[in-house]
Amino acid sequence: MNPKVDLVEGLERFLSAKNGQGPERFGLFVELLKQASEQGCQEDVRSVLRSAIVPTLDYTSLRGLYRLKRHLSPMVGVSQPMLRLAVLGGFTTDQLTQLIDLFLFGLGICVEIYEAEYGVFRQEIIDQRSDLYQFRPHLVYIATTWRDLAHYPGPRASAAQVADAVTQEVAEWRNLWNTAHERAGCQIVMDNVAPPPWRVFANQEAAHPASLGRYVTEVNRGLAGESQRYVSMHDVDSLSAEIGRWTWHDERLYHHAKLPCAPEILVQYAHSVAALVGAMRGAAKKCLVLDLDNTIWGGVIGDDGLAGIAIGQGDPESEAFLAFQRYLKGLRDRGVILATCSKNDERNAREPFEKHAEMVLRLDDISCFVANWNDKATNLRVIAQELNIGLSSLVFVDDSPAERALVRRFVPDVAVPEMPEDPAEYIWAIARHRYFEMAEIATEDFQRTEYYKANAERKRAESATMDIDAYLRSLEMWARIDVVRSETLDRTVQLINKSNQFNLTTRRYSVAQVMGMVQDSRWVTRTVCLADRFGDSGLISVLLARVEEQSLEINTWLMSCRVLKRGVEAFLLNQLCALARSRGLRTLSGEYIPTPKNELVRDHYASLGFRGRGVHPDGRTEWYLDLDSWTPLPHFIKESPVDG
Amino acid sequence: MDDIRAKFQAVLRDVFDDDTLVVHDSTTAAEVEGWDSLMHINLIIAIEKRFGVKFATAEISRLKEPGQNIGTFLRLLISKLPRTA
Repeated sequence: MNPKVDLVEGLERFLSAKNGQGPERFGLFVELLKQASEQGCQEDVRSVLRSAIVPTLDYTSLRGLYRLKRHLSPMVGVSQPMLRLAVLGGFTTDQLTQLIDLFLFGLGICVEIYEAEYGVFRQEIIDQRSDLYQFRPHLVYIATTWRDLAHYPGPRASAAQVADAVTQEVAEWRNLWNTAHERAGCQIVMDNVAPPPWRVFANQEAAHPASLGRYVTEVNRGLAGESQRYVSMHDVDSLSAEIGRWTWHDERLYHHAKLPCAPEILVQYAHSVAALVGAMRGAAKKCLVLDLDNTIWGGVIGDDGLAGIAIGQGDPESEAFLAFQRYLKGLRDRGVILATCSKNDERNAREPFEKHAEMVLRLDDISCFVANWNDKATNLRVIAQELNIGLSSLVFVDDSPAERALVRRFVPDVAVPEMPEDPAEYIWAIARHRYFEMAEIATEDFQRTEYYKANAERKRAESATMDIDAYLRSLEMWARIDVVRSETLDRTVQLINKSNQFNLTTRRYSVAQVMGMVQDSRWVTRTVCLADRFGDSGLISVLLARVEEQSLEINTWLMSCRVLKRGVEAFLLNQLCALARSRGLRTLSGEYIPTPKNELVRDHYASLGFRGRGVHPDGRTEWYLDLDSWTPLPHFIKESPVDG
Repeated sequence: MDDIRAKFQAVLRDVFDDDTLVVHDSTTAAEVEGWDSLMHINLIIAIEKRFGVKFATAEISRLKEPGQNIGTFLRLLISKLPRTA
């Protein structure tokens, strides 16, 4: 008997449960997990448990999973960087925090948590000697409700009084953020304000300047406008509206235990916070892989033909598919990569994109088009490879339960949402998982899909040429190397916190920490922007190093995988060596810290001519380069002058 | 009644994560290890869900008050369940 196989089978039966089978199958699944755990199959339990943590579960089931997770022994072998998360609540946060912990675990993020007593967040932040600062948080999450508003002037106040109160309310929060950030160098996530469900001014709530509802709206607008780079607002206001404000609130449990909302709602609440924190740590999904027949149009193109498929106006189900495509197009325009994975003749599969007048999605929108008769697990691996992203960055959408089961089994890193039978519910089925959360809005997000498309074109050029040097020369690449500047700070920090594969040390730094390095003369910060004849890839590489006596120690070296094998590493190393020599340094040193995702760069330093200096028991390797005997490496990248 | 008692005990075992937990009518909250105010709320949430009932704000406090025990709480719970013929 193989417990792993049983576990995977049990997981699939539970995830695909329909019509009230859920609780029973969940119970069986939990039993399997317990048995496997008793038999010592900790790692299997861990990986299957991760896949089971979905926001569609109810509160009680998730608490059960949380208990199982708590009983797991710490992970062996891989040194996982811990996220130190401090939760400061205006309400009792215990239950919420445990679920956040669980959902983050589901995203592969291990946390160490500090929770303050409820209601003391101001003191914790203001008092320099508070436990909060002892804890040295990477991230502070401030969880509040409308009851934490401090300056609402009441319903009879004048418009001017209300405006003053809003200003003061927002300024106080801003001061708290700044204080926490200056002292702990942490990022901050904060709830905005969800108003109570009752509205004493009824339909005039929005019109009357001094109503509580209007006040909350103005404060929320102010908070969003005041957010610093190190602050991400968590939109509880829209979350509670999405769920329904009366459904959200359970006043009994607030009066009793200062719970912010009904227990079932804690699931959505925690999931939403975890998704946002996950995005800050690079765990958001990047690509939506779509089946075609009965997924983005109704019917089977190979059988029904161009005129026979259901997409477009006039027929309810066709309109549902149309609405779904509009949603996908919206995601795509915002930077989510779209790919297809369909069992079809490629020519048939392309036809609707090219010729159907009512299709919203066009070939242009698809960064990687795969339609063939191979199994989908294999195709998903190919897609991940072509787009240079990890399997765990993919979400696979297919109307067929069999295909979903196959993908879950053979490529468990890919997220596979259960899809309802009715296409009118497709948007909801995907949106509820919050796969594509954003920590902040970076303008690069809007261009990203263009990069990936240009990448696909480069690949085509690559396959047309045999000689790799000739190919690289034909790209006509030029690069701009610079220190981290205020204009490039956001993107730099985004890359630091998102890059997993080409990342030698996977050290994460906040905006504040990077700003600190820029100001410190012992630190060398470098960013590289790359362009070629197909387009501008933008800022794609970051290097942080520190002078230690005679040596320049490379602390962080990472690169976006969309510019792999282009010679950027050689280009950057040449620049760095020249700099180190000009400062009279003798050696360059670097290290490689293995993670589950950065196998790609294990031999990075060796391939650049560094010599090994030692291997640590945890797999970490150390390298150095003697600058006296070093000669520049060849590459095909021209350096362009820095503007200004 | 016995059926309800068994279900009730199962909820307790689940919430307190103790498969050997046994409670009697005379058992009080103070005698169950880990039954603090936080676990109390978790228990109320779980019982409400298991039995499809809802406790009023004042009733939620009752189980932990002096003179109250599992027996009195079970009677409160049963009074909320639909009567079977």
